[in-house]
Amino acid sequence: MNVDLAHLKDIRKSFNGVEVLHGVDLTLAPGEVLALLGENGAGKSTLVKILAGDIPPTSGSITIADTELARLDVYQARQLGVRMIFQELNDAPTLSVAENIFLGQWPGSKGFVAWGDMREKAREILKRLEVDIDVDAQAGSLRVGERQILEIARALTQNAKVLVLDEPTAALSNTEVERLFIVMDQLKKQGVGMIYITHRLDEVSRVADRVQVLRDGNSVLTVDAKGAQRDVLVTAMLGHEALKNARPAPVSTTGNGLEITNLSSGDDFTDVSMTINAGEVVCLFGKIGSGSSEVLESIYGLRPVTGGSIQILGKKFTPKSPQESSSSGIGYLPADRQRLGSFGSRSVAENLAVASWKAMSRLGFVDAGNEVKAFSRWSDALKISARRGPTQEIATLSGGNQQKVLLGRWFEAKVQVLLLVEPTRGVDVGARRDIYDIIRRQAKESGMAVLVATSDYEEVVLLADRALVMSRGKIVSEFTGNSVEATSLISAAS
Amino acid sequence: MSKTTEVEKDKKRSIPASAPLMVFFVGLFTYFSVASEYFFDIENFRNIAVALAVTGIVCIPGTLLMIAGQVDLSVGSAAAVSGMIMANMVNKHSIAVGLITALVFGLTLGIINGFLVTVIGVNSLITTLGGLATLYGIALLIGNGQTVMMRNFEWLGTAQPWGVPLPVVIFTVLAIMGAISLRKSTYGRSLYAIGSNPNAARVVGIRSNRLLFITFVLSSVGAALAGAVLCSQLSAADPNAARGLELEVITAIVLGGASLAGGRGSMFGTILGLCTIGILNNGLILLDVPTFWQRVAQGLMLIIAVSFDSLRQKLNNQRS
Repeated sequence: MNVDLAHLKDIRKSFNGVEVLHGVDLTLAPGEVLALLGENGAGKSTLVKILAGDIPPTSGSITIADTELARLDVYQARQLGVRMIFQELNDAPTLSVAENIFLGQWPGSKGFVAWGDMREKAREILKRLEVDIDVDAQAGSLRVGERQILEIARALTQNAKVLVLDEPTAALSNTEVERLFIVMDQLKKQGVGMIYITHRLDEVSRVADRVQVLRDGNSVLTVDAKGAQRDVLVTAMLGHEALKNARPAPVSTTGNGLEITNLSSGDDFTDVSMTINAGEVVCLFGKIGSGSSEVLESIYGLRPVTGGSIQILGKKFTPKSPQESSSSGIGYLPADRQRLGSFGSRSVAENLAVASWKAMSRLGFVDAGNEVKAFSRWSDALKISARRGPTQEIATLSGGNQQKVLLGRWFEAKVQVLLLVEPTRGVDVGARRDIYDIIRRQAKESGMAVLVATSDYEEVVLLADRALVMSRGKIVSEFTGNSVEATSLISAAS
Repeated sequence: MSKTTEVEKDKKRSIPASAPLMVFFVGLFTYFSVASEYFFDIENFRNIAVALAVTGIVCIPGTLLMIAGQVDLSVGSAAAVSGMIMANMVNKHSIAVGLITALVFGLTLGIINGFLVTVIGVNSLITTLGGLATLYGIALLIGNGQTVMMRNFEWLGTAQPWGVPLPVVIFTVLAIMGAISLRKSTYGRSLYAIGSNPNAARVVGIRSNRLLFITFVLSSVGAALAGAVLCSQLSAADPNAARGLELEVITAIVLGGASLAGGRGSMFGTILGLCTIGILNNGLILLDVPTFWQRVAQGLMLIIAVSFDSLRQKLNNQRS
């Protein structure tokens, strides 16, 4: 007897001749929650997209509700009850909750919406999910977690049987996560099968019945969620080769650079404290949504501080605006280089010098010669390859070279505190090593305190003198020296 | 050794942004010189320069604004109101009072525009479009829709120290100041940065709002000064005299290679764009083309210039 809601068998998928899924099986029973784990690039998204009919598999078979299909398109998948819930919201924020639940399929006749009917039905569905949301409220006024529940409610009105949830908790606070789990418990009772993609191991035993781990396009482990060992899961996700990494040599440090005490910013993070010595590189490791990059934004004045205090070189500092921070000796490298970092249509020399114009100018006039000098000073040290020299537009450089220019910007400005968010995102492997080397060398030579927010454990291992791990807005553990290694970092962050 | 030759080769390959316009300008200039016997003449060049000076004065702060990614459409109507105020004040009081009230009007308008854009956060295109309509109405109201004659104040528009018309002198001085500011001052460099990427400018610590505010004030003061010069040239304030000035200004700036998206442009380019419009208008008159065609030609030039700008952006995006 076939009781499976969905069954993927020996699924292979190639993009441009490169196989990314090497024969993966997946089954899902009614009322079951299957947690799907794996590092970025393991093939989770590709697999669920095949299940949703978004992309066709190269080979393999798909069976949904006893119907075996060689080809599945999005409409068929929807017809058979497969629904995806993404981390990004797909709602209409200016419409009401009830309208959003029935978005595009409002009950009524002859082109008129039956408002009373719609609100009654919406109330019923929300009650079934045991959530208390006003059906007349504007969707945009709700919290992110509540809006996600609206999307689940919408899927239910469209008769969802298989629900795929792609990292739904990444942007949620603790209480919202718990509320989502209660909704999922209700769905289980109603026989809905769910595939739950997550990075958070602690959620697995709370919500899932079974766990399946993908690595490099293979299914490497499928076990019962109850009693699944955290270490076993982490090892399965990483494979063994990822565990060995050379540690950078420890650097002697002098004096106090940056000290923060019980820093909080609303729901984003609370009671974060740390001391970074001059010349030290500290990594704040955490998954996206853990609050690590938000801490740096708050120190730089880009996000309001709601509690706690900051000291720089022993002096109290209250962040007000990026202008104040940069003139107080703080540098900030944003994760989104294109949007927040580089001036695409301007030259590399200008991009490098922009934070130092004040120091370079006399009576408000900048000497372009100083800019060129600054650029040649750093282009050798940072190994920037700009073939056309200091006047080349920065947008024409590779990502790694652009990032080096932006790092040089703060080195030239001689900042005392350097805040880096995901410093090697989108940077090729070769340039990565250069960037780590130069950050460490520069920190030591100029006595900068460097704080790095990153979600890349390899980066932590290769860059940090010390690592702090954040999860759900709090610092959960600290590692120093040789204890900074991948398994314990990931285990602590999950 | 090999590195330097490679750098030089690449330098040769990159074409300055104003090169196509330069070619067009030289071509147009040659054509009119051949086609009309009156064109290549020092007196005619003086006429062209005088005709351009008023627009040119407005073009200078206009270039600063466009480089910062902003635009001021209220300049034409602002010049009209400035002229009306000045004519009335000169007639009732004195030249000094007239000139000062006109400039104070420009200052006030600039503060209002700057406040609306940088503090309230209204889109500059819409704010100044509203300003264009409102101020034109005010210009009509002041003179009851009529031209106001102005007595005894022609020198600002018509004096010729050392044989050069005063408006051209004013324009030249302002253009040099503008060019130096753009190239050398932290203010000018910051405008490029703001236009190139406003978010990054904020993050890196540039006081964007303050600098934009100042630039809006400069734009309105420039318009008020242009209005005063125009009024003095005509010995009268005509509410319709500066109609369409904003169009001419934007055409010149965009022709000169400034990007509507901000971050690109130069004073040299703007002046070249301005000269192109000047000789086109002048040449068409000399060739006895009906004046209505001037409007058509100018409108088409603006469309061609912005199409060129968009095309260039598309190509740049493809390359990177």
